[in-house]
This record gives sequence, structure tokens and C-alpha cells, in this order.
Amino acid sequence: MKIPQQPLSQRILKYSLTTLIIIGSLWSAAGLEITLERILDAPRQIGILVGAMFPLDLSQEAFDRIIPKVFESLFIAWAGTVIGAIFSFPVSFLAAQNVAVGIVSRTTKQILNAIRAFPELILAFVFLPITGLGPFTGTLAVGIHSIGTLGKLSSEVIEGIDEGPLEAIKSSGGSKLNELSFGVIPQVMPTITSYWLYRFEINLRASAVLGVVGAGGVGQELINQLRFRDFPRAGTVLICTIILVLTADTISAAIRNRIIKGKVVKS
Amino acid sequence: MINIPKKPAPTYLVTLGIPAAILFTIFSFRRIGFNLQDFRENLANRAIVTDPLFNPKWQWAWDNTADALLETVQIAILASIVGCAVALPLAFYASRATNLNKYSYFLYKSFLNLVRTIPDLFWAMLFTVAVGIGPFAGVLALIMFSLAIMGKLLSETIDSIDPGPMEAAKATGASHNQSVFTSALPQVLPNYTAYFLYIFELCIRASVILGLVGAGGVGRIIETQRIFLRFDRISPIIVIILVVVILIEQFSVWIRRRII
Repeated sequence: MKIPQQPLSQRILKYSLTTLIIIGSLWSAAGLEITLERILDAPRQIGILVGAMFPLDLSQEAFDRIIPKVFESLFIAWAGTVIGAIFSFPVSFLAAQNVAVGIVSRTTKQILNAIRAFPELILAFVFLPITGLGPFTGTLAVGIHSIGTLGKLSSEVIEGIDEGPLEAIKSSGGSKLNELSFGVIPQVMPTITSYWLYRFEINLRASAVLGVVGAGGVGQELINQLRFRDFPRAGTVLICTIILVLTADTISAAIRNRIIKGKVVKS
Repeated sequence: MINIPKKPAPTYLVTLGIPAAILFTIFSFRRIGFNLQDFRENLANRAIVTDPLFNPKWQWAWDNTADALLETVQIAILASIVGCAVALPLAFYASRATNLNKYSYFLYKSFLNLVRTIPDLFWAMLFTVAVGIGPFAGVLALIMFSLAIMGKLLSETIDSIDPGPMEAAKATGASHNQSVFTSALPQVLPNYTAYFLYIFELCIRASVILGLVGAGGVGRIIETQRIFLRFDRISPIIVIILVVVILIEQFSVWIRRRII
């Protein structure tokens, strides 16, 4: 029996990619001085750290410190997402090719790209001298980065709409503004809202991290406990963060599902 | 008269959700100390950062960051390759289409969710404590990071594969594992490659900040210069990273077009 083979060019591509991956990882491992010994020893070392975290520090004092910080991260993420959503919404119309004039769309897109290039932590550095150490700094950093990412995603949603309703509005004498409010917005709103929620999930993780540079949130607490070698309390911080993120993710995912797929009709 | 259909009544999600969201927003802004007046008063302070930031010292960056940049790229390469390799079998166990056992499916799915909840820099902090400061901790952190993303993306892709080929393989007498290997795996391989390239990009971006907690890479230089407020030395690094990311993006677009 003759089994058809993949074309030669495909096979060459496949093998060269495999070699590239193997050489790449070996080269990187050598460059970073990662030896087999270290890899084999890592599980034991991680085990020691995890072991040191248990039993968790469940004292009242620990919770009094940690819980407000965990919620601070939640507030930073939410407020940052709201800032991102409010500002990115009009901007995304300017960035969409089918709504704005060519040059406006291209410039706006470049501005959004430039904003996205700065990680939240770097933005936090920029805001620290203005807003000081605290959650406000984190919120601004998260918010501005979200404008970049949400603006890009939303403008892509707007570019993907069905032009039919727009034509219908135009032919019945509607203005450009009518077109936007009756033609574009109803079409894009569900997807854009779900992107906002999705961004909120990402921002929650980002805001947890921001504490490392003093921009508020639970990251500060974790890095302090790890520095002071108070591992049981670090473990509590970690567990509290996991619970918060899991809960927020679950709720947000449920709402997104409901928005995109609509009401489940029981038959 | 034209009979216009009535607009359906808003659901509970809208009537309760929107006021709740607005209330929560107001509450959040109060709790984070949102204060535009202070912001305006202190706006002049921005010069401390922005003046040097927009006045980059290219020569300095050129002379001092090459090693650290190479380290960043190496961390990203190693971590994304290992992370995605580990994620491949996990994703098949975490998909209902390929894992027939309800309990082990739930176990793998929960594991991936759990890994995903911990932010990348938290992993980095934990690993610097566990295995010591240096790029090895960064590699481990990004392995968890890419494992989580690949696990989620790929398992969801496997959920939506065409079951036909698997059935066909089983009809010819293949065991479940054989049918997964010969029918499910080839279906998702193009997606796997595309996700891998995407994750590699994310890893490059993420490995920039790993140095802030001592996990190696170019972030180590950013952190030391930040403490001395030398933002004129930080901005060229950011631009260089941006160029690297754009180059990698172009490369992955090229490969993706070849494969899919």
C-alpha cells in the first residue's frame, strides 16, 4: 500500500523548525548557565519553599493587613478598566478604517500602538512622581495601558461590522451620527463589552503585580513578606490573591458568556 | 399604521447589573484616592520622569545593555519552548473531546486555571526565593506563564475540533490514545504553532519586567537605573525592546502564513 507523503518543501520546513527549536533552547540554556544539576535540584528547592508556607498564617492580624490590600488590587483593576473603557470607546471609532477618514484612522492606530508599547510597570514609574506611592498611580498605569489595548481591539470589532444596516440608514435619510448610533453601536456593543470584562480579568493580574514598584495592591505585601522570610504569611497572601482572581474570573466569564451567547432558553 | 414590534424588556442582567457596576465604579474610585486636584498640582513633577524619558541616551544603552538583552531573549526562547512543550499533553488531558474521564479532565482543567491565576511577576518572586536570584528563576516563572496560556488556548481549540476523524480512526480499530495521536493532534498542530509564536512574543514582553524582582534579563538594568531616576537610560531600552518585539511579530506572521 502506498501512503501519500507530505510535499518535500513542507517536510524541509518542519525539520528545519525542529532543529531551530532544539538549537535555540540549547543555546539559551547554555547562555543562561542552566545546568542539568540545577534543573534536577529545582523541584526540591521549590518543595522547601512551599513547605515553609504551611501551615498558613491565619492570624487575625495577617488578615487585617492582607484583605484590604487584596481588595485594593480589585479596585485598581476595576477603576483602571473603567478609565480604559471610557477613553478607548470614542478613540476606537477614530481608529476604525470604515468610520474615520484614512489619515485620522492611521494616526490614531499609531498612537494606540505607542501606548501599548509601554508595560504597566513602566507607566507606573512615570506616574509615581505625580501621584505618589499608592493605588492611584497603579490605576492610572493600568487605565492608560488599557486604553491602548482596548482601543485596538474595539477598532478591529468596528472594522468587522456588517455594512448593510449603515446603507439602510443612509438610504432612509439618516445622518452620519444616526449611522453611528443606530448602525454601528448596536452591532459592536456586545463584543466590546465582553472585551472590557476580559481586560478587567487581565488588569486584575496586572494590578496585583504593580505593588512591586509601590503602586498599590497586593504585590507590595507579597514582596515584603518574601523579603522578611515570613513564608506562612506570604502563603496567605498568595492564597487570598488566588481566591480573588478565581472568583472575579468566574463571574466575569459567566457575564461574558451571557452577553455573547445570549440567554439560555430551556426547552 | 405600521406595526412596529415592541422592544423586548431589559433583562435582570441589564436592570440590576448596570446600576451595580456604576456603584462599584464610584466606590472603587473613592477607595483608590482618585483626586484630580492633587494630580493637577503635582503635574509639574512629571518633568522628573518625562524630561529624561524623552531625552534618551542611546550610546549608553548601546554599550551597557547588550548582555542583558541577550539574556532576556534567551529566557523568552527557553521558557516558551519548554512551557509550550509541557502544555501540549496537559491540554489534551484538559479537553473534554480527548479526555474521556470526567474526573481527570476536571483535575487537569483546574490545575491549568490555578496556574493561570498567579501573575507572572508573582511566579518570578516565588522562584527567586526558591532557586535563587538570576535568570533561572525567570525561566521557571515564564514556563509557568506560557504553560498557563498555552494550556487554556489549546485545550479550548481541542474542545472544538471536528470529531469525525477521531471516530474514523476508532472505527478502524484504533485505541483512544491512537485516535488522539493520529486524528486530534494533526488538527490542532497549526493552531499550536500559531499560539507558540504568540506566546513567544508575550514572553519577550514579560521577560522585560522580570528583572525588577531579580529574575534576570534587561529588567535588572531598568530597575537599577530607575532607582537613580535615570530615565534617559531606560527609554532607549524600551525602544530597543519594542523593535525586537516588532521584528519577532513580523517573523511569526511570516511563519504562520507558511504553516496555515
